[in-house]
Amino acid sequence: MKDRVVISPTTRQEGHAELVMEVDDEGIVTKGMYFSITPVRGLEKMVLSKAPETAPVLCQRICGVCPIPHTLASAEAIDQALGIEIPKAARLLREATLAAHNINSAAIHHFLVAPDFVPEELFATAVDSVSNIRKNVQYVVDMIAGEGIHPSDIRVGGMARNITPFTKERLIERMTALKSDLEAHIELIKNCVAESAEKMGIPKDLGVVNQPLLAVHPTYGVNEFDMDAFSEVLPEAWYDDPEVGKRGCSVIPLINGTNVETGPRARMEKFQGFKDKGVIAQHVARADEMLKNYDACLEALDAIDPAASARADYDPRGTGELGFGIIEGPRGTNAHMAKVEDGKIKFYSAIVPTTWNIPTMGPATEGFHHEFGPHVIRAYDPCLSCATHVMVVDDEDKSILKNEMVRI
Amino acid sequence: MPLGTYKEALSARSTDSKILDVSQDGGIVSALLCYALDEGIIEGAVVAGTPDEDWRPIPTVVTSADEVIAAAGTKYSMSPTLSALKEATRQYGLEKVGVVATPCQTQGLRKAQAYPFTRFVVDKIKLLIGIYCMENFPMASLDTFATAKLGFDSLTDATKMDIGKGKFWLTKDGEDSGLAIKETHGYEQAGCNICMDYVAEWADVSTGSVGSPDGWSTVLTRTDDGDSIFKAAVDAGLIETKPMDDVKPGLPLLEKLAKGKKDKNGKERENRAKLGLPLPVEY
Ligand SMILES: Cc1cc2nc3c(=O)[nH]c(=O)nc-3n(C[C@H](O)[C@H](O)[C@H](O)COP(=O)(O)OP(=O)(O)OC[C@H]3O[C@@H](n4cnc5c(N)ncnc54)[C@H](O)[C@@H]3O)c2cc1C
Ligand code: SF4
Ligand SMILES: [Fe+2]
Repeated sequence: MKDRVVISPTTRQEGHAELVMEVDDEGIVTKGMYFSITPVRGLEKMVLSKAPETAPVLCQRICGVCPIPHTLASAEAIDQALGIEIPKAARLLREATLAAHNINSAAIHHFLVAPDFVPEELFATAVDSVSNIRKNVQYVVDMIAGEGIHPSDIRVGGMARNITPFTKERLIERMTALKSDLEAHIELIKNCVAESAEKMGIPKDLGVVNQPLLAVHPTYGVNEFDMDAFSEVLPEAWYDDPEVGKRGCSVIPLINGTNVETGPRARMEKFQGFKDKGVIAQHVARADEMLKNYDACLEALDAIDPAASARADYDPRGTGELGFGIIEGPRGTNAHMAKVEDGKIKFYSAIVPTTWNIPTMGPATEGFHHEFGPHVIRAYDPCLSCATHVMVVDDEDKSILKNEMVRI
Repeated sequence: MPLGTYKEALSARSTDSKILDVSQDGGIVSALLCYALDEGIIEGAVVAGTPDEDWRPIPTVVTSADEVIAAAGTKYSMSPTLSALKEATRQYGLEKVGVVATPCQTQGLRKAQAYPFTRFVVDKIKLLIGIYCMENFPMASLDTFATAKLGFDSLTDATKMDIGKGKFWLTKDGEDSGLAIKETHGYEQAGCNICMDYVAEWADVSTGSVGSPDGWSTVLTRTDDGDSIFKAAVDAGLIETKPMDDVKPGLPLLEKLAKGKKDKNGKERENRAKLGLPLPVEY
């Protein structure tokens, strides 16, 4: 007998999604389908025909959990679309900002999964540790980028201002002092995950997938993207279940025709030789990556010359060529692309980390008991609001009218 | 009470000749900032400098006594001083900030502190020095006073700018030229005509020239912090004081001008209300 288990919405993640699992008599998942049901905001549409500087300001609002990668991807896409080479100091300031943010976001994720893994007697310790780390790394983002959540000072052409020597010193001091706490935090989380995984009987190979990896940089990003290898299909064409296909709110992005895995584990495998796969490996990789970002942050801070200019002069008219801002966010590769002509944004598109992972997360639940389904999803730390795009639906029955994605 | 709530009123002057050489009046603003910087009460301050020496006030973050002194002296035009607070508390990395503000800016800051909109900005303000203010002028008005009314080639020829004894003064080549205050009427920024606060009633410490002899300032200490910082600067020998009762013209003149501003501008508020114009709330 074929049965269905539906979790709607999946919880302790950002945004709303649904996990539909077909299960056999033993409750083992035979088919997993995961899709976004978060309403659309349409920011890619809003920036059209606006001045290029509008994009980072609006597009950072795509998400309140990973606003920094969105701001950076947007600024970098516009930088390239305008033919701007940002000053070295600006690049270093951006790198330090992203590395600090990615540590912050990993810590938030630890808070979200704490009820799964952290035993009661350690719960307060874990929460305090998360707060302590966040307070310190968010301070770095605040000082360099203006605001920890929606940064005001990451600008087209670089940064609003360089930091002063005093601030550089203060940030380095504060980060240096954080190191032992961060190492203790990583140990705590990894131990909790290992011990409780055993207690809960989480299978060793739960959530293992063998999809190609998407990761472009160990800690920052690049300004190129292989458009020939890239394609998108609609949820209707992707999911076998037409109901699911109808209700899914995000496109399915593919590289060379297949879905991919992106995120901390993918980065750690591609750039740091990390080998393990699956749910536990996701948690371990995310925790270990905090140290990589810590090193990257300090390295960038150290290299900043506070006397240098952090912003380039530029011509806002645009090259008419597609610019790419491909940034490694906490949940994976965040690709923004933009075209600017006559000083106005003519095209804008964002393919964000969770969008890549959505088609990969569902099948990752297959082969195990459905009770483990939510663990698989949370291991990927999805962030749905940024993943959601739009299509034309019938007002009455919500079915898709146009079998093509409306580009927003 | 036309002077708002205050703990003590004193006539005072900096004891540092480096400050007195460049300060507008008794150099109280600069002396307090230098003391607070030295003692670590603040790590820096937002003031109104004029980097191009053209009298246009530019919000400036200062972190040393030299920078404080370089920004001394009154520029009689609007300085968007509060706009530099973000920079001060971010890229400058300041955790404890001083601000020099006109009464209207003081009100704005206190409101910002009362509402939770400005995260990690206004909560870092540790010393708010208010300066008395009757009115303020757009740069174009100052240009007009200098060229059309006082016959200067350019406003930038002036080495000092002051208002006192019923006149607007510009100094050039050591010589003072005065323009009767009533000649400046109509040139002030329109908002100043409905402003009810002369003496920065919500500051930690307020100061201005009125009430004290030339080269001295009248100081009103208002909050516990303002009072203790001022007293400590006096104890440290950076500021000398005299009781208000011992100086001429003394507090009665300050009270008269403060009340005069409230009366006159209160009427203008009524006029504007009758016309259905919006009025900012006064506290
Ligand atoms: C527009 C205006 C009108 C004024 N009207 C009166 C008045 O009617 N009666 C009176 O007694 N005093 C008035 N003052 C105050 C007076 O001119 C002196 O600024 C005050 O006495 C401080 O002098 P000081 O020697 O202690 O300060 P100083 O040591 O000379 O330092 C002055 C400080 O004020 C800051 N500053 C200069 N211009 C501005 C500005 N436009 N906005 C904000 N901050 C500024 C400077 O950066 C500096 O930090 C007025 C000031 C302004 C700006
Ligand atoms: S008169 Fe009032 S409104 Fe005008 S500058 Fe002075 S404090 Fe501000
Ligand atoms: Fe997000």
